[in-house]
Amino acid sequence: MAKIAYYPGNTARAASMEVEDCIVPLCKTLGIELIEIPKASSDGGNIISQASPKLQHSLVARNLALAEQKSIDIITTCATSHAIMCDTADIIASDSVYASQLNNLISLTSGIEYLGESKSRHLLHYLVEEIGLDKISAAVINPIKLNVAGYYGSNMQREGACGNDDAFLPNYLEQLINAMGGVPVDYELKCQSVGAPSLLTLEGTAMAMTAAVLADAKQNGADIMVSACTISHSNLDSYQSRAGKLTGKDTAMPVVHLAELVAFALGHYPDRFAQLRTRALIIGS
Amino acid sequence: MSVIAKVWIEEDCITCDACQDICPEVFQLTDETSQIVAAVRIDGVFDRNIGGSLLKADFGKEFADYIEEAAEACPVDIIKFEMTGAAAPAAEEAAAVAEVAPPVAVAASPVVASAGTSDALAAVFAGDRTLTIFFGSQTGNAAGLAEKTAKLAANYELIANVVDMDGYDPASLVGAKRVLIITSTWGEGDMPDNAEDFWQGINSSSPTLAGLNYSVCAIGDSSYDEFCKAGVDWDQKFSALGATSIQEIQLCDVDFDEPWAAWVKTVLPRIACVDDAGVFQESLVEEMIAYGAGGDDSVSSGDFTPGTVLMDEISVTLELFRYCPSTAQSGWDTISCAVPAHATVEDLLICIQQDVDGSLAFRRGTNGGTPTTGVRVNGRTILADLARISDLIGASGNLKIEPAPGLPIIRDLIVDLSGYEAARARAEPWMRADPREGVRLLNGAAVATMDASLATELHQKSDILSYQLIQSMSDTSSYDKAYEGPGIHLQQWLRAEDPRCGAEQRKNIIASLNETDGVWAEADLSSIARYGSDGKLAASGLNSARAYLLNASNYGGKHGRLVKWYGRSVKWTGNVNETTLYRQVLGPLGLIGNIFNGISARMLLGFTRNGGPPIRGLQGLLVPPSGIGKIPNMINSKVDAHHEVVSLFNKIDKRF
Repeated sequence: MAKIAYYPGNTARAASMEVEDCIVPLCKTLGIELIEIPKASSDGGNIISQASPKLQHSLVARNLALAEQKSIDIITTCATSHAIMCDTADIIASDSVYASQLNNLISLTSGIEYLGESKSRHLLHYLVEEIGLDKISAAVINPIKLNVAGYYGSNMQREGACGNDDAFLPNYLEQLINAMGGVPVDYELKCQSVGAPSLLTLEGTAMAMTAAVLADAKQNGADIMVSACTISHSNLDSYQSRAGKLTGKDTAMPVVHLAELVAFALGHYPDRFAQLRTRALIIGS
Repeated sequence: MSVIAKVWIEEDCITCDACQDICPEVFQLTDETSQIVAAVRIDGVFDRNIGGSLLKADFGKEFADYIEEAAEACPVDIIKFEMTGAAAPAAEEAAAVAEVAPPVAVAASPVVASAGTSDALAAVFAGDRTLTIFFGSQTGNAAGLAEKTAKLAANYELIANVVDMDGYDPASLVGAKRVLIITSTWGEGDMPDNAEDFWQGINSSSPTLAGLNYSVCAIGDSSYDEFCKAGVDWDQKFSALGATSIQEIQLCDVDFDEPWAAWVKTVLPRIACVDDAGVFQESLVEEMIAYGAGGDDSVSSGDFTPGTVLMDEISVTLELFRYCPSTAQSGWDTISCAVPAHATVEDLLICIQQDVDGSLAFRRGTNGGTPTTGVRVNGRTILADLARISDLIGASGNLKIEPAPGLPIIRDLIVDLSGYEAARARAEPWMRADPREGVRLLNGAAVATMDASLATELHQKSDILSYQLIQSMSDTSSYDKAYEGPGIHLQQWLRAEDPRCGAEQRKNIIASLNETDGVWAEADLSSIARYGSDGKLAASGLNSARAYLLNASNYGGKHGRLVKWYGRSVKWTGNVNETTLYRQVLGPLGLIGNIFNGISARMLLGFTRNGGPPIRGLQGLLVPPSGIGKIPNMINSKVDAHHEVVSLFNKIDKRF
């Protein structure tokens, strides 16, 4: 069984319980053993870096070092967290002076150092590249059978953070949706930001961006949307009625996280999946 | 009359004084040996002249007889000399032999030399002239320099062989006399792929390289820690194996042309002075330089014309955005064509315009990387006159070309940059140095001064191809028309960081950046950072601007409160507490507003987070920290070893 450290990101444990509910059974079905790193902290969410990039890098380097102590990589369900970890790993690899400063800090406070061996993997990339679409397809018990729009966001769609997928024309989500018996929906704005970091400070802009993504997916025939980013999921889901109201666009659409949809396809939480299908049917009509 | 070209003292001098007595102008004794006086030598050095420096012309003629006499008188026969025009082997002969080889007769010997070439140089030219130039190359730069070096080597009568390190047998190096190595460094100090096997081979076989003369030109990037490491490794390895460095290693940064040119200018005449026996004839260097420089039409001048990149044709299915302003209609043209993969996007558009549809409108560039030629191709924002099709096209062969995003479209691929220009005019990011403390020259003219390291730092931060392209990278621009845009703000911030900027201008810029349409209007810097090195540089610069403003405002306003309380909530528990953020950023009225605008109700009643039960567990209602409905937790539990997180905060930033 493949072992990998699990980092839930900033919101999964406190605000996105459904991701926490689903990640464990889905990994168990696919033969992935998740190792908890209970000392891991928030990665700063690119918010702390606005005051102090060094503080955010130190928090992330410490998390990576905690996984490195166990000689394993980190898997995360959040695109933002994944991108933040990739950024930190990149800067540590490219700037040895800065890397030694960071390591001195986490060595002083935690007695560990990050040597650049443990890397971050996003759940999507891990499923496609390590587990394989064939294995996932063979494990599907409840095919999705819905038109599904995949949402990538902008955070991890850059060179070095999106696995072997194309950074600007990605299709890993579409391949995965196919493998789970769903029908992928192509739409223009699948990599566009929904302004999640500015939800509380630029509500109008964030809502306009959110509404544009949802409306674009819906106009292209999506029944539901699946998000690869836990933070963006909140904008797309909890705030969709607000976004629709402010912009006058049709934004009503069930939005699930990637971990949920895979878990549903693999036969977990059939009651929730039934609710989702019902909701998609009602909203979509 | 005899003329002596050079004279030297071999080992085992018994310091008998005989030579000094006969010709003190040339020979002078030390405690250990006789030496050749500096004043009579071209190189001006006082030693035994083992290197074979020539005598100055007059001295060779004036003291020829005395030198011959001293050589004859030497009881241990260690005074050696060479007559003008004598071939190298003749120099080993005694004075009597020299006497029977008068200069004129020897000069007529069949040594191939140009007019004006000394006989010593001609002797060097007469031997083996092979030069091996190895290249270790990942992207072709080192290979290109090797080719150029080979062409220039012909100026010094060298027969250069350019050798790809890939597949080279280290054993073949034994017996070689002249080697130049030009190599890049790949990744973190690694050898280029084509050099790896050769490197491993030479490390495992360790051939003896005595008699081999070499020099290394290393290409690297000084922003990496292991700058030019591959070249340094080769230099050290050849030296360790007994080879002689004919010239110190040359380290070249990303702008490698200039240092390479300096290296090749010096190293070629030097390595050309290595004779048939593998001995470096240092005394001939100046003459060799003059020989290589000039005057002879038959000498190759070297070819510095940039090489032409040629790639195979590829089939492209082109999707081209079209917009007609008179009818306000837009759509897509689909064109199948075949183009050379090395063509730029602009090349392709010109072909379409000339051969398919003359009405196609796009901006043409004036050279590679014209800032206003930005378009979006397969999702990437690029400059049309710079980006090659081979770098953009995927396996599918599709190429989708659209106008640069975030800007109004005038026609087809032409976007309206007047808004950008107007915003720039308002922002005034150009230099206004007055008033500030300055420095004046003696003539009274004001001069700008800047610390070199700061100048380098500013240069690196502003190493942007096109601010217009940066402007179109933001996802926010399309949804907030008042937002001035990242291209404008980045220019402002870079100006504010410039110490030559006047105090008044800096103050105005900072105030402008802090306005509602300033840097805080960008909803997500990650949407900019994803666009390659320029995007990353821009996002980093804008983040720095935000950090400055946060400090200046003591974390005031919504943005300041968000950052402050985000940091504090992480410091308190190790995790973010969204409830804390909502309360602190929105304030009590904002929280109430959230209830009435439906968001909290949606969370509370479970009409969100689809797939979960409508109300998340009864305990949620009974124990608020667990979250009511699907409202985020109000109180976080602490991560294990939470004190480590607190320590990290306290070490780095106590503001939280």
